[in-house]
Amino acid sequence: MTRQLALASIVAATVVIALCYASAFAPGGAPTWIAWPFMIATSLTLVAAMTLGAVRRGTSLGPLAIPFALTLLILVGGFGLALMQPVPTVESRLWFGLPAGAALVLYGVGLLPVLILPLAYALTFDRYTLSIDDLDRVRRQVAELQAVEGAVRPGVASHGPVAVVPPLGTAAARTAEGV
Amino acid sequence: MSLLVSVSATVPLLQAALLQTALPPLTQPTIVAVALLYFVGVAAISIWAARRTKTASDFFKAGQGIGLVALTLAAMSATVSGFAFIGGPGLIYTVGLGGLFLVLPAAITNSMGAWVLAKRMRLLGELRGLITVPDAIAARYQSPVAQGLSAFAILIAVIGYMATNILALGVVINAIFGIGLGWGIWIGMGVTLAYSVSGGILAGIYNDVLQGTLMAVASVLVFLFVLDVGGGMSGISRSVLADDPGLLSPWGAFTPLAALSFFFVFGLGSLGQPHVVHKFYMLKDPRRLKWYPMLMTAALMLTLLLYFGVGIAVKALVARGELAALVTPDAATPTFLLNYTPVLLAALVFSGVAAAIMSTVNSFMNIGAAAVTHDIPIAFGRRVGNELRVGRLATVAIAVASAVLAQFSGSMVAFLGIFGWGLFASTLVPALAIGLNWEGATRAGAIASIATGLVITLAFETMAFFNVYSIPTGVTVSGLSLVLSLVMFFGVSWLTRASAASTLAPDVRLIMEA
Repeated sequence: MTRQLALASIVAATVVIALCYASAFAPGGAPTWIAWPFMIATSLTLVAAMTLGAVRRGTSLGPLAIPFALTLLILVGGFGLALMQPVPTVESRLWFGLPAGAALVLYGVGLLPVLILPLAYALTFDRYTLSIDDLDRVRRQVAELQAVEGAVRPGVASHGPVAVVPPLGTAAARTAEGV
Repeated sequence: MSLLVSVSATVPLLQAALLQTALPPLTQPTIVAVALLYFVGVAAISIWAARRTKTASDFFKAGQGIGLVALTLAAMSATVSGFAFIGGPGLIYTVGLGGLFLVLPAAITNSMGAWVLAKRMRLLGELRGLITVPDAIAARYQSPVAQGLSAFAILIAVIGYMATNILALGVVINAIFGIGLGWGIWIGMGVTLAYSVSGGILAGIYNDVLQGTLMAVASVLVFLFVLDVGGGMSGISRSVLADDPGLLSPWGAFTPLAALSFFFVFGLGSLGQPHVVHKFYMLKDPRRLKWYPMLMTAALMLTLLLYFGVGIAVKALVARGELAALVTPDAATPTFLLNYTPVLLAALVFSGVAAAIMSTVNSFMNIGAAAVTHDIPIAFGRRVGNELRVGRLATVAIAVASAVLAQFSGSMVAFLGIFGWGLFASTLVPALAIGLNWEGATRAGAIASIATGLVITLAFETMAFFNVYSIPTGVTVSGLSLVLSLVMFFGVSWLTRASAASTLAPDVRLIMEA
């Protein structure tokens, strides 16, 4: 369900971006408000792409839903508030050394996700991205499949047999790594 | 206002503009000495790597693999070209905050790349023995045509991109050593070629470690001087606001649509950059990916401090009357360094610029050679006998072709260079990044999207170059081609959805679902 939602979001956002671009080809060019749907669609595309990559078939996002939702909020909120800012003047109040709109873009959109996404990736990696068991299972299943099929596949034949890496943590792996 | 026309045009055009503008002379003993030391370091690493390069797998994907820190610094070095040190600050100086939108997605792109591609590419590389990005497309769709078409697109983009980068390298070497642009181009190309041919991607990776470290350290130090000289961010902002407040509006001198278009292309388009994606194959232990986004984002952010800081600080210094207005925006970094930092730091940065360009060129040489040696022959049902030897020859051929192009084709260099990022994005993002995460993608959809990206980019950029047609303000060729290739990918895949199951090999499905 989450995968379908992510994919549907990417498709819908792509169509919106295409329509925004198309509007620029009309006589008189793109209306100024077109930046709003463009900004929302772009933000949605990026977050939906992350979701599509992170979620496994038949499962939910789990705790990753929080950082992804926060990122979407930061992008849409940051760009949205920036779109509402007037052009700054020399009297404008500065936020961390920048006028409000510039600060929203630089510190909000440009920096806040740095504090969220890499950490979320690291903290959920073992459980939701690639555990040792996942790795062993995939290596074993793929090796079994390839042995049964025995087919020549792109990228295999040109370099001889696939280098079979022993499962991590095994004696063979430690030997291979010279530990 | 031409900056509003095309996002893909902006970066290489500014690089190519170096041909006409040149940098201020930098021929000072300290700068020359540091540059020579840097080149000695590159040579030493290359000799070490050459001794370890014995097979095509060593040459194209670093054989037994590399560690996380090496992967991170190599990916960062390949991402950041000399543009980040020269053209980028010039862009900020000219258009203010709008110039930031090229690098603004960096807060997200590395994590996104990790979730979308890193694990799957790494496992595909290991379990299928893949060595190139088009290999992954071939494996995903069981299609030599898709592999050949994507390799062709990569090759075109690589040669154009390399020509602009080699030209920029020639300008930097000429500025440091005062030997003339022609010699600068050939010496720069020669040094990069020497380590690329002898040590392949292994030499590239470990030179990238040196180069990436140099770039990050230099950038941080320069940023500290920026804050000191400018009176902090507040002092810089007050000076710019008094002179041209529009530069510190959220979009700078761009329209919101144009600035957001940068964000779209450089955000989603990051998933289709083969010189970065290719490096996922090389990580020795896939579970080390856990820390990749954190390390990569931190390294990239530090390296980009100079990009924003110098451009806006020089604008402030000009506004205060402490510096004369720049003759060319590309002079922002050299002018700041020569006037406000110790000569040793300036020397480090100029070596860092050369390093940034060389690391990018090296990556392009490698993937271009792989396209010629490996992917395109496979598309025609052939195999090259000795891929290592032919790979080395192809690297030489591509490098020489790019250097000749850089030296003799005048403004055509810029024309070729404009295809780079946009062509990679529009031809690879749908088929590779989405395709590796969606079982419903079909072979026909992938081929249609790659062909669309190729045709749209070439057609619109050619028309713009020859002034036949210019696309409207706010629209970018890269953005347009990316979005149309996505539409084509989804549309054709839906129309041919009955073939989706047969397109996907069972072992690739297992890796996609891992």
